[in-house]
Amino acid sequence: MSVDLEKILRPVDTPLPKFPAKYMTLANGQEMVVRQAERDEIPDILPHVEPLIHVERDFYNIVAARLYSELLAYYTYRVQDEYVLVAQIDGELAAIVNGRSVSPDVGMSYHTFSLRRGLRVGAHAFATKMEYHIDILKQKEVLIVAESGIGFRRWMIEYNLEKRFHIPHELGGCPSWSLTKELFDKARNTLVVGRRPVPEHLLEKAKAGILPPSDPPKGPEDLLAATRSMLDSTATSLIEMRRKQGGKIK
Amino acid sequence: MREVYVAGIGITSFSRLEYPLVEIAAYPGLMALRDSGLKKVDHLYVANMGGGRINGQTGLASAVVDHMSLTPAGAETIENGPASGASAIKQGYMAIASGMHDVVMVIGAERMREANPLEATDFVATLTHPQAEYIYGVTLPALAGMFTRLYMEKYGVTARHLAMVAVKNHKNAMDNFFAHLHEDITIEGILDSPEASTNNPYVADPLRFYDVCPVSDGGACLILATAEVMKKINKPMIRLAGIGQATDTHCVHERKDPTELLAVREAARQSFKMAGVKPSDVSVAELHDAFTILEIAESEEVGFFKKGEGHLALERGETQIGGKIPINPSGGLKAKGHPVGATGVGQAHEIVLQLRGEAGKRQVKNAKVGFTCNFGGFGNNVVCLTFIKE
Amino acid sequence: MELNIYAYKCKRCGELHYPYKTICKKCGENDHNEFDIVPLPKKGKLLTFTTLYTLPSDYEVVTLALGIVELEDGNRITGQLDIKNPKIGMKVNGKVEVVRKDLYKKHLGMIFYKA
Repeated sequence: MSVDLEKILRPVDTPLPKFPAKYMTLANGQEMVVRQAERDEIPDILPHVEPLIHVERDFYNIVAARLYSELLAYYTYRVQDEYVLVAQIDGELAAIVNGRSVSPDVGMSYHTFSLRRGLRVGAHAFATKMEYHIDILKQKEVLIVAESGIGFRRWMIEYNLEKRFHIPHELGGCPSWSLTKELFDKARNTLVVGRRPVPEHLLEKAKAGILPPSDPPKGPEDLLAATRSMLDSTATSLIEMRRKQGGKIK
Repeated sequence: MREVYVAGIGITSFSRLEYPLVEIAAYPGLMALRDSGLKKVDHLYVANMGGGRINGQTGLASAVVDHMSLTPAGAETIENGPASGASAIKQGYMAIASGMHDVVMVIGAERMREANPLEATDFVATLTHPQAEYIYGVTLPALAGMFTRLYMEKYGVTARHLAMVAVKNHKNAMDNFFAHLHEDITIEGILDSPEASTNNPYVADPLRFYDVCPVSDGGACLILATAEVMKKINKPMIRLAGIGQATDTHCVHERKDPTELLAVREAARQSFKMAGVKPSDVSVAELHDAFTILEIAESEEVGFFKKGEGHLALERGETQIGGKIPINPSGGLKAKGHPVGATGVGQAHEIVLQLRGEAGKRQVKNAKVGFTCNFGGFGNNVVCLTFIKE
Repeated sequence: MELNIYAYKCKRCGELHYPYKTICKKCGENDHNEFDIVPLPKKGKLLTFTTLYTLPSDYEVVTLALGIVELEDGNRITGQLDIKNPKIGMKVNGKVEVVRKDLYKKHLGMIFYKA
């Protein structure tokens, strides 16, 4: 008697509407395409997330580490109703946003991960994620937490999110904030941007493959100086971590 | 009074620096010593605004002088808000011109990004008047927003003109290795496209994201010396020929005509008079564009253009590199960055580079007279410097 | 009890100062504290304004409307605005209310409404 173990271990996904791709012009005139990633594209995305697990700045390390596990969970069918959206500029990976659907009315936002700094890519990506939950999945609210102060300022403060502190968020059980449909509708004109349909040539370039980001966030160029800047004379934190990686210490 | 020359210069990149504040100050000092060939200085001035509050380091100059093994030279920290840099250069000038010292090192340094953005905003807001502005939640961008609205109403400056300043300065910064932002933004991206409201959201309307300079870390250094020292080290003779400083009311609302920057006007006048040149003699200028409107307003107040016509000259391309009076070839505060204490010294660094003919792709041809305007608070304390190539 | 914002009147020459200055800006001759307090008028016209989006950390609101008002007696004051569509030159009436709260204190200042 054989048991289909995989069938037992996989959660049963609810059929969810796909995210219709959109595009937007960035401040430098380039165009960015945001589309839903297919499961089999995840292995192409993981190598660009991994290096940031070792960047101890702006909470890149925890966001990258958690995102990596969420992407892997999606790829190996170990999470229910997760979606992954990717933003690409000229095919290059610029941002990843993900989350999942908890119920027909409630969405759970996971992460907003930006690999291209300085062009408000994160703002565009986050807004697109909210559009997916509210407009496309037609949910009533999305639960959100922020790991970094920058996230907090841009989302909790700017969108004026409601407190749902009695609901533990799936990210670490922290008190949740909520973007309700009303709040989203209020902000629609200024914060929800982008156009559809995506022009053929842009969509083709994006779908052709996920190219590595040309200038992703990196760790400090001078590890010893960085540890000194954190008032650490023993040079323990960053160096130890780098040593474990087998990397060179300047 | 003796003549004062620039013997050496140094600068860090103005971006996010994961170095202690003291090292951000020391590195350009080291570069300037190597540039000048000098081994020692008689005195050190360090311009800095946030050391105590943001970085937990008061008495910065005392820390830097030892860090650079320059003890027992005297050292002082100079704080004049965003005009700290030019004020420190002024102190260096007076030390040499008076005969007290022969070689003085002036460093400007700031590490603002050690704090989170909310703390950085609060910190800069302490420049405002405590009872009459601060309690209302007024920040420098708020004052600039109110100023911009009046300027638009009175002189017809539009959002497009502000965007043109940002685009020009970003373009200039693409050729500046040290600049904070290397982003070739376009008018389409920040103003015309349907996504402009997310790309370029309002900060203090009518000012938008790309009208406000970034929060930067950075350091810059100038070594000033007498003519005798200059002869020995065989460096180009760039003379600090004119200095001007003036103040205005603390509260912006107390100014007779809030569209006038009287402190800029007076400081520039003094600086040109002392140097013996006119605004029309200036080959290249670095103006304080913490907000894009300020580049336009200052270009008028210092005398490059008539009051209310700065934006027209901008339209005609007169302030581009290659134009009649190139302004902010380095990218200005908008694209090069604004580490508050370092900015004034950074502006002087760019001017010296230009007058020496060492500015590479952003070189202004035949630069002979350079001018900087370092704007403290919101126009209530301004220091202007004039440099002449001999 | 209606609250006021006070201007300081030099006892020697009568010049009004808002905010307080230690030395009279007109005659410069006063002794220390040689000022009378005079309540500022509350009616005026709006000279300029802005809506601030990047607020200091003490504030829980998303935006803050700020403006400079020229009061009836010619003095000027910076204040918050509770006005939907402010316009330059608009007539406004002020009221002294809480304008900022930090950890332990409430700060009072002028909030202007459309007249």
